[in-house]
Amino acid sequence: MSTATTSKNPASSPASSSGSGLSFLRVLKSEWIKITTVPSTVILLAITVVVMVGLAALAAWGTAQIVTEFGGGAGSPEAAQAGPPAADSLVPEIPASGLFFGQLLIASLAVVLIASEWGTGMIRSTFSAVPKRIPALLAKNLLIALISFVVGAGAAFISFLVAQPILGSADLTLSLDDDGVLASILNTGTCLALIAVFAMAIGTLLRNTAGGVVTAIGIIFVLPLVVAIVENLADWIPDAARFLPSNAGTQLVTAGPIADGALTQLQGGLVLAAWAAVLLIASLIVTKKRDV
Amino acid sequence: MIEARGLAKRYGAKTAVDGITFDVQPGKVTGFLGPNGAGKSTTMRMILGLDRPTAGSVTVNGAPYANHKAPLREVGALLEAKAFHPRRTAYNHLRALAATHSIPKARINEVIELTGLGPVARKRVGGFSMGMGQRFGIAAALLGNPQTLILDEPVNGLDPEGVQWVRHLARGLAAEGRTVFISSHLMSEMALTADHLIVIGRGRILADAPMDEVLAGSSRERTLVRTDDAEALAAALGSGSGPVEVRRPAPGRLEVLGVSARGIAEAALSRRILITELTPQQASLEDAYMDLTRGEAEYQSLTTDHRETPGHP
Repeated sequence: MSTATTSKNPASSPASSSGSGLSFLRVLKSEWIKITTVPSTVILLAITVVVMVGLAALAAWGTAQIVTEFGGGAGSPEAAQAGPPAADSLVPEIPASGLFFGQLLIASLAVVLIASEWGTGMIRSTFSAVPKRIPALLAKNLLIALISFVVGAGAAFISFLVAQPILGSADLTLSLDDDGVLASILNTGTCLALIAVFAMAIGTLLRNTAGGVVTAIGIIFVLPLVVAIVENLADWIPDAARFLPSNAGTQLVTAGPIADGALTQLQGGLVLAAWAAVLLIASLIVTKKRDV
Repeated sequence: MIEARGLAKRYGAKTAVDGITFDVQPGKVTGFLGPNGAGKSTTMRMILGLDRPTAGSVTVNGAPYANHKAPLREVGALLEAKAFHPRRTAYNHLRALAATHSIPKARINEVIELTGLGPVARKRVGGFSMGMGQRFGIAAALLGNPQTLILDEPVNGLDPEGVQWVRHLARGLAAEGRTVFISSHLMSEMALTADHLIVIGRGRILADAPMDEVLAGSSRERTLVRTDDAEALAAALGSGSGPVEVRRPAPGRLEVLGVSARGIAEAALSRRILITELTPQQASLEDAYMDLTRGEAEYQSLTTDHRETPGHP
């Protein structure tokens, strides 16, 4: 049986002369195909948007209820007595209400995308095609960051639209021109993008889907809760807690004034970015050396 | 052309590959033969840069695999362990691999047709039978139309027709001048497919020679004997010293290894046993292989002073 289409003299001509080789753009395209051809990925992204919008709608409805029941204008005396925060001061952050669960789902997805390559053995095909390894990992990180940004900012923007009639029913207004609203919507995406890179690095280091998901969610969700419980034990604990990835990330979407001692939006973003960068670099170094 | 020099891999205290040196030449099928766990798959993974050698080096077409600008166009590999996501379709898997080297869609369809994957190309790989999985792996290996093919146990799980297909494919690729390196633990298959043989055992090379030399190198002669008194002849031969083995394939027939035809005739004559047939056989690859690995076993029991004589270099 004749098997191949070319019949050149192999002893004299290296095969690479016959066609194009690797480039980062091509690796990026390959990773895009990989991400979009496993159905669960697309489904999980859709679920993320739906859950985030749903939570924002719920937050909008709750805020509207409180304001309708108790009043709640920041300037009103009732609100001043009811204590902070006044209900309508939360309105600018309503589009970002789904952030917490968005982090949960995006972090899980990011871990699954990379850890499943080890779990299934796909990583051997990936690293056979891209034997320098790092371009493949960078491409995957870049794509998950971009996708997460679009999903986060998109979900926040849809949340903004969905919240309009709900808030309107309580005579509350929310406009993109209001202080910090547009930034909060965009930064919902920024936060998810950084969390995605953070989680993908954990998945890369652990090479195990279950272990990676548990670890990522443990750091993002459980750690802040544990810290909140023990924060009265020592003065430095609440100080340090501000630098946890999820706490720093939450600061990214604040639209109102920053509380005393809290990180600003920029500081929060930089802290989360530092977490993501350090783990990403660690995961690249370890993967470069490891047997697969 | 694959060149390994002092290639070694240790996992903790366990040595999988023990400083092996060999060349795999273009234009022929080179068989990589050895029992399970001998180090075949580890060696192949090191050629692809998937496992980092503990010592030594290996190059493909003059450079380490990872240094090539278009690795998939240099080397195509079918690995023994699965290397795909079970929920992705065959076509999409090949598409993702092809994208890294901008391999055109036409080539994807070509390898699908070549490997007979057409009817299942749009199905998820996880549902493939073992044979279909092997064909799929070979399709991926051929994708870049590479000059060098590395196939780790390619006939595993294939039906007889598939086995024959792989044999023809490998011989065809080699005839085009490509380097074809096939591992197997199946000697009969290797004997039919390979031109050259590298035998590995316990991480070390036991033989590296053309197939006919390996066969000729078998020290044990094999002779078919037909006699009326197989029982007595077997007893007569068995009493001799040395590595004599007597098999009894059928009543009245013996297969004798390690004794010359003349030796058998003399034994029969001295006991007055009638022989009706005495046919010296060409050594089979299995015999040669058993010889090589028996040397290995003897070596294992020797003291360390004899390190430089592992039997068949």
